[in-house]
Amino acid sequence: MKLLIVEDQPKTGHYLRQGLNEAGFNAELVADGCTGQQLALSGEYALLILDVMLPGRDGWQILQAVRGAGLDTPVLFLTARDAVEDRVHGLELGADDYLVKPFAFSELLARVRSLLRRGNTSPQETSLQLADLRLDLIRRRVERNGQRIDLTAKDFALLEMLLRRQGEVLPKSLIASQVWDMNFDSDTNVIEVAIRRLRLKIDDEFPNKLIHTVRGMGYVLEERSA
Amino acid sequence: MRSLSLSSRLALLFAACTAVVSLSAGVLFSRASEAHFVELDQQLLDGKLMGLRRALHDIQSSDSQIRLADELSRQADLSLRITGSDGQRWYDNSAQLPDRLPQKPGLSTLNDAGSDYRVLNAPLFVDRPDSPQLTLLLDITHHQHFLQRMQHLIWLTVGLSALATALLGAWAARSGLRPLRRMSAVASGVSAQSLNARLPEENMPPELAEMAHSFNAMLGRLDDSFQRLSAFSADIAHELRTPLSNLLTHTQVTLTRPRPIEDYREALHSNLEELQWMAQLVNDMLYLAKADHGLLTPKREPLELAVETDLLLEFFAPLAEDARVTLRREGHARFEGDRSMLRRALSNLLDNALRFTPAEGEVRVRIVDQVKGLSLTVENSGDGIDGALMPRLFDRFYRADPARQESSSEHAGLGLAITQSIIRAHGGRIRCESENGWSRFVIELPRT
Repeated sequence: MKLLIVEDQPKTGHYLRQGLNEAGFNAELVADGCTGQQLALSGEYALLILDVMLPGRDGWQILQAVRGAGLDTPVLFLTARDAVEDRVHGLELGADDYLVKPFAFSELLARVRSLLRRGNTSPQETSLQLADLRLDLIRRRVERNGQRIDLTAKDFALLEMLLRRQGEVLPKSLIASQVWDMNFDSDTNVIEVAIRRLRLKIDDEFPNKLIHTVRGMGYVLEERSA
Repeated sequence: MRSLSLSSRLALLFAACTAVVSLSAGVLFSRASEAHFVELDQQLLDGKLMGLRRALHDIQSSDSQIRLADELSRQADLSLRITGSDGQRWYDNSAQLPDRLPQKPGLSTLNDAGSDYRVLNAPLFVDRPDSPQLTLLLDITHHQHFLQRMQHLIWLTVGLSALATALLGAWAARSGLRPLRRMSAVASGVSAQSLNARLPEENMPPELAEMAHSFNAMLGRLDDSFQRLSAFSADIAHELRTPLSNLLTHTQVTLTRPRPIEDYREALHSNLEELQWMAQLVNDMLYLAKADHGLLTPKREPLELAVETDLLLEFFAPLAEDARVTLRREGHARFEGDRSMLRRALSNLLDNALRFTPAEGEVRVRIVDQVKGLSLTVENSGDGIDGALMPRLFDRFYRADPARQESSSEHAGLGLAITQSIIRAHGGRIRCESENGWSRFVIELPRT
């Protein structure tokens, strides 16, 4: 999937491209606004990642040109200015999401995946599965290796999110936002505890662990061959 | 244009006032004396007119000439002209009389060749329409001289008294404004290094005492803010120094010799943790800086505080269950505020409360809806808060738990400061108290 990064700071741009490419995307990087706009208008990108402050044309002008040309390519803004007006301005112009620098790459990756997933929701699933873990969405039941596991509503929501996005590293902030609707910076370790409790029920009795901690980045649900 | 000094302004105003007062007094006095002279002259001329009419009622008789001369001789400065009804001049008793005299009946004033006259015109015979006209002239030159001298005197008085008040006023204003100059001297000596200078309030005049008090209070607030700001910058440097030095050391040590790949991974992970901590710190400080600049403008959405609290308690439930702490909420109220900001504020308080609650303890959120506003109390059982620590609890980078002083990875000591900023941005207040082993943070929000 082709992504376009327009970012004038060489180091940031370089690492963003590398990170996204290694995450399985095909990311292109340009450093100035004019080239960025030309490429963005070609319409061959699935997502645009725009820095606000750019030489030539700034991120907002590119966004306006893109929306003006009738393209609805999702746009993720990167801004160093944490001003409310900036966000409002960006969202008014039709940006889909924004991240304030400094941000964690795992956060960016999660947002990029959310934006790309938006619009093409898979047909109504009735169950989610990974290895011998099975989650029945209709009867709200969880089984592992045929054994029924009792989960609280929030545990269930957490596991559902992990299963829907299996293989993705999910940052704690994203989990707090999606499962508990807590959209603020917080240094609390609630998510750690919640994951630990979920592990206790899902993973502890089984040799094949599914929930993994990625240090400093978040959590991932995947089957790792021992 | 540069504006006049206060003393000059006052002096000029004093002078103008004196000039106006003395001028009006003088004008009034000269008007009164002039009116008095006119009245005297009228009486005199009326008396003469009666005598002359009597003397002239029978102009043919021989002794009338004598009686006329007699009548006129008694008043040296009085002259007479008799004019016939056809305008023919019949008689002048003096050669120096001016040619043209006012014709209108009654009293008038005439100035001729340096002499002033009061002139009275009247018919000789009151009952005859073709009666000859009597014109009586009274020389009043000396009166007029007196009045003129008086006017000069008045102008002189006005000028001198205005000048005198200007000078005296300038002196009075300067000495009256001396406390102001003292104030400005103190103010000009104030700089970032000497914010402790204060004005002496006790020997200030009452009008200025209040200003001196406000001035001192302003200096006090500036001093306080400046101290906090200096401490804040120093704290920032200190807080960032620890993780930075960890990063430097760790990276350099890792790079000194070839290592197995696992070691590099470990080093990067460790660096990542430091970096995340620093990023969180920078974000929190930016948030506080925004609050300090009044840029934290909460949205006003209708909120059911009980619902918001319950959601937060649900969020914290895993943590509380882990610590075997009971979470409870009492009461409910509506409030218009920013959902995500208030959640953040409350989450900091709950996080804080859970940190300090021993096992089997309790954390309670009480919402009280009052007429004027509402209060939201987060309290936890435990050891209470040391009274000496209370004033510093909301300070940035302040950590009540000494065990967490040095860069514990999750907690920078900005949580309560952020909570306070959020509550203030909503126009509310937050305070803490401690009682019977309960630590309590009370948020008071005004009704919107």
